[in-house]
Amino acid sequence: MRQAGRYSGMLCGGLSGRSGPHSLPLARIKKIMKKSGDDVKMISGEAPIVFSKACELFIEELTQRSWMVTMQGKRRTLHKDDVASAVIATDIFDFLVNLVDNNSSNSMDNPEDISS
Amino acid sequence: MEPMDIVGKSKEDASLPKATMTKIIKEMLPPDVRVARDAQDLLIECCVEFINLVSSESNEVCSKEEKRTIAPEHVLKALEVLGFGEYIEEVYAAYEQHKVETTQDSLKGGKWSNGAEMTEEEAVAEQQRMFAEARARMNGGAIAPKQPETDRSLES
Repeated sequence: MRQAGRYSGMLCGGLSGRSGPHSLPLARIKKIMKKSGDDVKMISGEAPIVFSKACELFIEELTQRSWMVTMQGKRRTLHKDDVASAVIATDIFDFLVNLVDNNSSNSMDNPEDISS
Repeated sequence: MEPMDIVGKSKEDASLPKATMTKIIKEMLPPDVRVARDAQDLLIECCVEFINLVSSESNEVCSKEEKRTIAPEHVLKALEVLGFGEYIEEVYAAYEQHKVETTQDSLKGGKWSNGAEMTEEEAVAEQQRMFAEARARMNGGAIAPKQPETDRSLES
């Protein structure tokens, strides 16, 4: 299972834009695609390649937005809450709101969670 | 861990490899920036959710066009619909580049396979021919040509 690093290199041939030679494994992407719904159609061999690049761009945007929040807090470590803030602040990331909300339910920033 | 956890690829949710994701994330940030582990995990989860979202939409686009296979065009359309239109240009460029690279690879492979472009039957026939040639060379070298069994039986 931990051979993912080599695996991704083999599959994608190191195709990448601005980042290093690292790319996401196409087979894994395809698996996620198949599980995304009950009635998923057949997936062309080229679709995961498109996804791979789209994911990179997505991670890049989310990471950079999170990083901006980190910088505003004058910190050098990117925390989960920074990611959550970036998600909430960005319209197109609305689909992630529930995901980060579940994760940050333990945050101390929610005084209403403290039971009286 | 239960045995099913080790074996079960079917029940387990597929996720993206953490090592690769971590490298990609780190490469996007200044070198001295650290990323908390829980932040890494969340980013990975978000990415998986992104794939789910775009996959569902691509599936819809594909259905509407009454096609049976999700093609790159459907994914690009899905990105636009979902508000990720900014990605389309770069994604398309990467896709085109990949096509070029793949063509080059198959051209290289073509050179190799063109010399041996025969079916299995042809290959076997070729092999038999080569054996016959080799046998002829051996027989030519010997004083008396080696008689096949049937001839010997005729002689006796």
